[in-house]
Amino acid sequence: MASASAEAKTTFEDFDQAKRMQGEITKNYFQRLLTAQANGQKVGYGFVMANPIEFFNVFDIVPLYPEVTSLNISYRGGAPPLIALSEEVGYSTDACGYVKMGVAAATDKTSTAIGVLPKPDLLYLTYSGCQIYIHWWEQLHYQTGAPILTVDVPYVREYDGHVDAHDIRYVAAQLEESIPVLEKFTGKRFDENRFKEVMRLSSKAWELWGKVLEMGKMRPSPLDAYFESIYYMAPITLIRGTQECVDFYAFLLEELKERASHGVGPTAREDYRLVFEGVPNYPFFKKFWNLFRQNNARGVVSTYPKVAGMIDTGSFHLNTDHPFESIAEYMIHAYCNWNMPLRTQLLEKYVRDYHADGVVIHSIKSCRSFSMGEGDMREYLAKEKDIPTLLIESDHVDPRYYSEAQIKNRVDAFFETLALRRAA
Amino acid sequence: MQASRSYYAGIDAGSTYTKGALVDDRGNIVGTAVDMTGVNIVTASKKIYGLLLDKTGMNESDVAYVVGTGYGRYRITFGNTQVTEISCHAKGAHLLYPNTHTVLDMGGQDTKAIRVNAHGEVMDFSMNDKCAAGTGRFIEGSARVLGLKLQEVGELSLRSTNPVKISSTCAVFAETETQEQLAWGHSLEDVLYGIHASMATRAIGLLRRVGIEPEITFTGGVSMNPGMIRALEEQLGQRLNHDGKTMYCGAIGAAIFALERASSATHEGGSAA
Repeated sequence: MASASAEAKTTFEDFDQAKRMQGEITKNYFQRLLTAQANGQKVGYGFVMANPIEFFNVFDIVPLYPEVTSLNISYRGGAPPLIALSEEVGYSTDACGYVKMGVAAATDKTSTAIGVLPKPDLLYLTYSGCQIYIHWWEQLHYQTGAPILTVDVPYVREYDGHVDAHDIRYVAAQLEESIPVLEKFTGKRFDENRFKEVMRLSSKAWELWGKVLEMGKMRPSPLDAYFESIYYMAPITLIRGTQECVDFYAFLLEELKERASHGVGPTAREDYRLVFEGVPNYPFFKKFWNLFRQNNARGVVSTYPKVAGMIDTGSFHLNTDHPFESIAEYMIHAYCNWNMPLRTQLLEKYVRDYHADGVVIHSIKSCRSFSMGEGDMREYLAKEKDIPTLLIESDHVDPRYYSEAQIKNRVDAFFETLALRRAA
Repeated sequence: MQASRSYYAGIDAGSTYTKGALVDDRGNIVGTAVDMTGVNIVTASKKIYGLLLDKTGMNESDVAYVVGTGYGRYRITFGNTQVTEISCHAKGAHLLYPNTHTVLDMGGQDTKAIRVNAHGEVMDFSMNDKCAAGTGRFIEGSARVLGLKLQEVGELSLRSTNPVKISSTCAVFAETETQEQLAWGHSLEDVLYGIHASMATRAIGLLRRVGIEPEITFTGGVSMNPGMIRALEEQLGQRLNHDGKTMYCGAIGAAIFALERASSATHEGGSAA
């Protein structure tokens, strides 16, 4: 019977059901978030990078990631009023769009494209890779009075498969110290059995997500590991540590295997295989994707999904025998917490391992932690390694920085050079 | 008629000017034309095409293939295909100066640095940020506030004896700075040369991103400006290729692409017999 249903699949949409599932997961998550406080649950604000959501799960705290709410609002065209509100109170046009939207959304009764967001009961400051995180949470603390719980994560200065043991111990100790704080905050005892189960489910989801990303190595790739991963990466951040999260990645992996066996993918053909670096443009996401899709180009690997955890580098494995240390390692290995030479080497390795034709860097002006140094990356890859590399600029959330004609010009010219190289 | 369908046209619909070029089946430039783009790209490109045919005494039936380039390339409805002006400037510069390895194209709203191989193909390119600083618009704005014609600023700047430094990187603020410098008593010529020198510095920054390898060919509308040529050559310490045709490089390159595409289409068409 299974084969009969597989044969019934004829269009790409038939092989594109995981996105539908992700849409449902995100919708349900927002529903849970918007009703959390009315249901007597606490809302903890966290960051995408280095969030130990496993603890939130155990203590039944509902996470709110302003980065995720902002990108969703922006994707729905709702960024301008929030950005305008933040600029009215004095934020510069150059300040991070996520910060500006996050601060505006936490202002009294501010309605957003996804509803009125709950204010934080707790601000969980996992300081990893982005310096603005500290000031952002301070601002929210001034605005709402919510307490800040800080876990300081050291930057990855050197990495040869291992980071210094004292770096791991430093983070693990802070996580251990945070347990009594969270117990006091929620009035609940830390349930070790529940924690082990959450860790087991988290670990399983990571493993499956890693396998999904590896599918990009296939030729042709059954997925666009940049533009489609924008959707696929949501559950690992929003609902990690649940069976639903594991089920999602298991389903996705099967769907991609089916795509591969039926020879279908996100573009009609795979003419170009690209490595993507940088945060996408959310207000014009589909238009931006089309610039590449219409050239039959697929992102076969990208750095952006690795902000949620660098699962494809083998840098961490959640381990119930060493829960605090293994979570600490996951937190240390957030993409923007790697230094610039390491990030550049990773891009170069991606080009090799994924047999890519070139690298596209989408630089977003207001994010220093992601975008700083991308000019040097381009220069190194293009000049030292002779890898075709395109650098384009806009913003992740602010539509004012997206200029279609100018970006299209650069993208078209890039494909012309790729075509020339191929002909040669 | 022997001449039938043996000419190839390139139309470069830029942000400020639309240019056209016609080449014969050996790649010789037969004619060029230019006019302001104005508000309607479709009208402007049709007008230039008509002008090009008039000037060369040709009819549409003499033209085998048309390639559109420039920002308005997708609006050139009578064209057979489109190629970006980045590839076209490289191709055009290579035709005019076959030893070109680096192209600097300064247009109305864009400045591009392009590294090309021995066949005039793009190896790498870098463009100005989404900002008019360092583009032709920078000079236009300054000319306007000084009450000068665009064509005279370059020539005037050559008379500078003690150039001032224009430090603003913003084209709008630079206009204010220009007036301020005049108010401080600096001569018009010195201020004008300062503007050109400031643009040259930005352009060279772009060139360094792709790597500067001689010969450098200077293209685009600004390549007609002697002040800009001097400022660039002074700062680079080397000569640039430029002449009356380099402003048409985008259109010339497009015409060469038209010739190449038409002949490869003929070969693919199976005339193997």
